[in-house]
Amino acid sequence: MSSTVTLHVNGRDLEIRGGPHESLRTVLRRAGFHSVRFGSDTGETGAAGVLVDGRLVSADVMLAVQAEGHEIETVEGLAGPGEMHPIQQAFIDTGAMQSGYSAPAMILATKELLERNPNPSEGEVRDALSGVLDRESGYLRPVHAVLRAAATMLGEDPDDISVVHLDTLVGSEASVHHDRDGLSDIAPRVVPSDEVPPTRVVGHAEPKTDAIKLVKGNPAFTDDTDLEGTLIAKVLYSPHAHARITSIDDSKALSLPGVHAVLHHGNVARVRYASGGQSYPNPLPYDQVSFDDKVRYVGDRVAAVAADTEEIAREALELIDVTYEVLPAVFDENEAIAEGAPVIHDEPDMEGAHDASRNIVHHIEATTGDIEAGLAAADRVFEQTFRVHQVQQTPIEPHVAIAEWDSDERLVITTSTQVPFHVRRMVAPLLGLPVRKIRIIKPRIGGGFGAKQEMLIEDIVGHLTMATGRRVRLELTREEEFVSSRTRHPQTITYRTGVDADGMLTAQEMRVIGNTGPYGTHGLTVQMVSGLRGLSSYNAPVKAFDCIVAYTNIPVPGAYRGYGAPQALFALECHMEDIAAELGMDAIEFRRRNWTTVGDPIDIAPQLGEGDIEEGVMPIITSSGLEECVLQGMRAIDWQRRTDARWKQPPDRPNIRRGIGFAMAMHGTAIPGLDMGGASMKINDDGSFNLLVGATDLGTGSDTVLAQIAAEVVGVGIEDIIIYSSDTDMTPFDTGAYASSTTYISGMAVKRAAEGVREQILDRASELLEAPSGTIDLHDGAAWSEDGESVTLETIALSTLHQRAQHQIMATASYVSPESPPPYAAQFAEVEVDVETGQVTVERLVMAVDCGVPINPVTASGQVEGGMVQALGYGHCEEMAYDEYGRMVNPRFGPYKIYRSDEMPELEAILVQTMEASGPFGAKAIAEIPKDAVAPALRNAIADATGVRIDAIPFTPERVWRALNAS
Amino acid sequence: MITEYHRPTTVEDALSLIGDRSAVPLGGGTTLTARRDGAPIGVVDLQALPLDEITVHAGTATIGATTRLQDVVDSDVLPPVLRDLARREGPRTIRNAATIGGTVVVADPESELLACLLALDAAVTVARDDGRTELPLDEILGAPQAVAGELITAIAFPVGGRLAADRTGRTPMDRPIVAAVAHRGPDAVRVAVCGVAPHPVLVDPSAIADLEPPSDFRGSAGYRRTLASVLVGRVLADVGGDR
Repeated sequence: MSSTVTLHVNGRDLEIRGGPHESLRTVLRRAGFHSVRFGSDTGETGAAGVLVDGRLVSADVMLAVQAEGHEIETVEGLAGPGEMHPIQQAFIDTGAMQSGYSAPAMILATKELLERNPNPSEGEVRDALSGVLDRESGYLRPVHAVLRAAATMLGEDPDDISVVHLDTLVGSEASVHHDRDGLSDIAPRVVPSDEVPPTRVVGHAEPKTDAIKLVKGNPAFTDDTDLEGTLIAKVLYSPHAHARITSIDDSKALSLPGVHAVLHHGNVARVRYASGGQSYPNPLPYDQVSFDDKVRYVGDRVAAVAADTEEIAREALELIDVTYEVLPAVFDENEAIAEGAPVIHDEPDMEGAHDASRNIVHHIEATTGDIEAGLAAADRVFEQTFRVHQVQQTPIEPHVAIAEWDSDERLVITTSTQVPFHVRRMVAPLLGLPVRKIRIIKPRIGGGFGAKQEMLIEDIVGHLTMATGRRVRLELTREEEFVSSRTRHPQTITYRTGVDADGMLTAQEMRVIGNTGPYGTHGLTVQMVSGLRGLSSYNAPVKAFDCIVAYTNIPVPGAYRGYGAPQALFALECHMEDIAAELGMDAIEFRRRNWTTVGDPIDIAPQLGEGDIEEGVMPIITSSGLEECVLQGMRAIDWQRRTDARWKQPPDRPNIRRGIGFAMAMHGTAIPGLDMGGASMKINDDGSFNLLVGATDLGTGSDTVLAQIAAEVVGVGIEDIIIYSSDTDMTPFDTGAYASSTTYISGMAVKRAAEGVREQILDRASELLEAPSGTIDLHDGAAWSEDGESVTLETIALSTLHQRAQHQIMATASYVSPESPPPYAAQFAEVEVDVETGQVTVERLVMAVDCGVPINPVTASGQVEGGMVQALGYGHCEEMAYDEYGRMVNPRFGPYKIYRSDEMPELEAILVQTMEASGPFGAKAIAEIPKDAVAPALRNAIADATGVRIDAIPFTPERVWRALNAS
Repeated sequence: MITEYHRPTTVEDALSLIGDRSAVPLGGGTTLTARRDGAPIGVVDLQALPLDEITVHAGTATIGATTRLQDVVDSDVLPPVLRDLARREGPRTIRNAATIGGTVVVADPESELLACLLALDAAVTVARDDGRTELPLDEILGAPQAVAGELITAIAFPVGGRLAADRTGRTPMDRPIVAAVAHRGPDAVRVAVCGVAPHPVLVDPSAIADLEPPSDFRGSAGYRRTLASVLVGRVLADVGGDR
């Protein structure tokens, strides 16, 4: 079926190979229009948005032949090299892009809108963007990018986007401040701290270093490559939740023309491993092999094929004859550990589970004293049980990897991963190759959120390249991404808390049954973080954690942004709210009496840490802006409306109740004693610098933040830093992008490398300026003596590289932290509840967060806005639903509901500065804390509105309706 | 898998291509091309047919079958409630391609637009070899095979009267779990509901308790029945009927 399609793209007629069955996306990508990206085959993500006769359509669900005879525009046609369309510039200026994977589609949506409506309202903008799902930004900045582009193109002044400093409220009268008057929706809000010294690049809203390639749709992601001659891999997944493979016959598949390899347990070496992307040695258990003779969930691997085309690969999967002996399955964590439950890991070579015969992977215990005595000392003891469910990360770019032999016959795997260095080490034994024979390249990533903190598919493409000698590419479909990648752990959580007559905690106990599905991967460490986070927000003389991690037959939970904290803090912040209500205390005041602050120990941490920390050393909190966060958030959400009866129960809408809820969050910053980042920096002839980092920018803007840190140290602008990240052949090691570590850990490595470079610059500057190096300052691209004499870095570079006592000014450094200073946050949510139907409408989310010093207030605000919206999905509308056989019934956007641009609550992020002395320029983490407290704030808002307290998420209409009816 | 593609320019040519039922009509393609099953099919792309006009004449609105949903949203001659419900059929990327004829054929149980057309007592014009005929929309929604081998060319309904719609969903633009649309015309009030049957259905407001809705993770049968009762009551009140 080889035919051609004639398409008129960006003003040119192109004849492209393509059949009548092929989508416009497939054919355009084949022709090199890589900006048309894959998000799903069914069109909902809009990542493949293109203009057809000026209208944005999803090229996933349009046949290429349908588009014949029409004008097609892709973002490649908008502006040539070195040029920038005003829309593209607006997307850069507003910080609208994080990963930028879907930026081309959003830019085309903007073009469509502005051509028919040059002066759109915000509602019209949101409608125009409604077809492009964004899992990263929360849509606030993209919407304002469109408004800014409109204003610019009309010759008007766009909204101010520069950083706004808000007044400190702690210790002052809130009513006297007018600093919020006229505040634009998008200006980053920073509450500055006097302790923070002035800086030139750090703390400023610098544009992203990768903005050009993202906004232009240039090839940047794993799959943005010419696939001609590349074999396409597909995986056969288990249709059963639990079964033994009694036979597998690949002969028919292998005889299909165009099939090059079929791999399964019969022909791939059985090497045990744990797939979680973690430091050496990976935590036990080692309960996986590349292909097993048993399957443990619907979506488990059975076999993989490599074929000339995707169609042939799919056909080959159908030709593999597999006979299963279906076994009983168990999905609930409580049932899995009960007597008589099916045993999920009964294989003799099973390694490292606590008690595999009872499906108990781990039993984690930690205590700071005698919990029963602590509870006995209380005036009142409160016990409450919560259930949190399973959700998926849903990066718009699914997992994708390409393996090939290079000319030195080393295996190169280009992959969308958060952990390239872990992947190299972990995949090596599975492939039987030494680490030195493997190179992992991480290009731009279209979102990860933890799903890509995993060695998930790299072994498959590696095996297939080794079996065929060919370049092999595997990209998960959307359904496979839901079912066969990674998810968030469901848990059953029980708190017991003792409180004395003054409202002070005497003891707090947390018991968790965690559901890690059929494989351990992150099962130990996620549940440890649940205990750590669930027992660190508040002081209690005695704390205890008891956790069983259970095997079940659900799709595999793993790392998901927040990593055990969103589960724990949902339970904790509902529990604390309810205790306050029972005690008749103000919910915030009750927390305030008990929350941890500067000087308090994080006393459960030594028992629930992973890293190599000196024994007996108690981590102490060194910075906290929580009180300021609470006051800023209360003001922004207009907290006193909680006492306004007419607002809460509007007389003209009898079925509506309104409420505002609060929850606090405390998170960590990197894993102390474990997470390590490396950086290397050198000067170029013109006084610019190459900065090589192992850190993995997955769209967060970490490359930008790291470049800002380097620029600050050597006194140049960010444009003088050329950053290259995470390629195992080229850059120093880094553990990867997880645990809120990059700014703090990799940032400190960069700072130290840059300081090494600075020293060497000062040495030569000292000679050239004839001044002691201690008196020289670096700024504006030059070295300055105290008397105002200067020499440019270009002169210094040319001098050292070419002229005298030649050497390369360069330095390498790495960093591991003994500490994990906690960021704090105050989360507020405003809701409307329809008490006749149970429908909850979220009107507004405000998070004020202390992340230390935000290195880049725009990217930091973007982390908060986007993180809150993901967290909103967790609490409000996202859920993986199953039938009785363990088959996910909603593996598609829509039925699996993530928020769209045209249905968003208002969002506000407020950055409250503190000076964290241990961090680079005062920084702490910000990536994960926005995930922690939306669900409980929502729940507490529903309680404020209706009086009904619901101890399970998500707050879908029927759940809320049932609770309303039960009360 | 799609193995043949045709783009006829006349209804007669289209009918001759789909008449032997080896090829199916293709509207915008947003549902059909996303299909992943392997059976080879031919498609007859309707885009070149002159069927995308919206007209209002003598109290009757007629929407051509290949009219894209976004054009329904943008049409200022159509009732605002209907335009809003067309907007709720999907995000702009989908509305820019999907057609109203395709929407009728797909008969999505959660389509509020179809519920609205049912409440409006819409008639569907179908072209067949022996000419054109009109069928009530609710006959087609119940039995898609009724138009197999034939071509929907237009949907028509009376303008005027009062329309109201309400729904319950997980988020503001989510597909509804249950939705209700009421229309008060000169002679009658008609009410249609989504989410209680395999396709949107006309209901007797006094017999909601007799509905037997499906049950899924978004709503049990009993909950859907409750929603139907609440929402039907609301839309009836909005069009000035009895609660």
